[in-house]
Amino acid sequence: MGLIEQRFDDNIITTNLDKILNWARRSSLWPLGFGLACCAIEMMAASASRFDISRFGAEVFRASPRQADLMIVAGTVTKKMAPVLRRLYDQMPEPKWVISMGSCSNAGGPFPTYSVLQGVDKIVPVDVYISGCPPRPEALLYGLMRLQDKIRKENTVLRKARVIKSGQSEPVLVEDRG
Amino acid sequence: MQKILKFFQTIFLIDLLKGMWVTLKYTPQPAFTFQYPDERRPVSPRFRGLLRLQVEPESGAQTCIVCDQCAKACPDDLIDLGGHREPGLKIKVLDYFDFNLSRCSFCGLCSEVCPTKPVKALIMSEDYELGSYNRDLQILRVDEMYDGVPIENYSR
Repeated sequence: MGLIEQRFDDNIITTNLDKILNWARRSSLWPLGFGLACCAIEMMAASASRFDISRFGAEVFRASPRQADLMIVAGTVTKKMAPVLRRLYDQMPEPKWVISMGSCSNAGGPFPTYSVLQGVDKIVPVDVYISGCPPRPEALLYGLMRLQDKIRKENTVLRKARVIKSGQSEPVLVEDRG
Repeated sequence: MQKILKFFQTIFLIDLLKGMWVTLKYTPQPAFTFQYPDERRPVSPRFRGLLRLQVEPESGAQTCIVCDQCAKACPDDLIDLGGHREPGLKIKVLDYFDFNLSRCSFCGLCSEVCPTKPVKALIMSEDYELGSYNRDLQILRVDEMYDGVPIENYSR
């Protein structure tokens, strides 16, 4: 992707290419199997046949970060686990997204202690935060659809960037990516 | 004798057929999957979803009496509320109600202690589809507490 990424200005060919790339990316999100606590049970339930996350093309839970696009951080991230999580995130190939699932990984949850990371967004950039303790499997699917919505609005070959400013829910187009 | 039986079992693939019979029994059943964005599973009556403030159903008046019980009951100190007295009114007027959703473990202690009758001011609603792009959006203000967080409806 290095040859074409962010090298083109806005015109019809590149925008259509963006649409194809985004379609491919959002409909085959391969998650990294990263269950840490009880949220992982709901994640497993979401991948089982009752809720069937494969309807969204995200059923292939990879054991290796090299093959994954999406990291679902499901559970309490302790400070001992945090460097491992960051390394796994760094090992994932580039179009990559992070879903923070549950109160513990959103903000530390009911553990404001010395050993628990107060929010996974301190070490990795999080795309979608799903609240719940644990979230239902439907809530995980909802978060996945929110992420697919976000990917649909992304630009790959375009020189502009969509940035979500703090306090806003909708992304805005920023002229220069820097 | 045992050996001959074992031999015939191997020849006629008895164990495989037993396994396939279980598969075959499940085959004519309808699909087990919930088509989630189209089809929603009903929640049980004691399900604890997102915290929500309620108003009087007929008049739309405020039911919260700003007693601060929920803020005291919360084990993680996620609720912050305040109000002021107005002459001529019996109850305090609710000024702000900040609820930090990001840490909430949905234990329901806040709605359990809520003393207002007959309409409970604080309830655990049935909303569970909570997903935000930003951590700032997880702190709910008073208007979001009345209406609930906006939920995008997806359909396929």
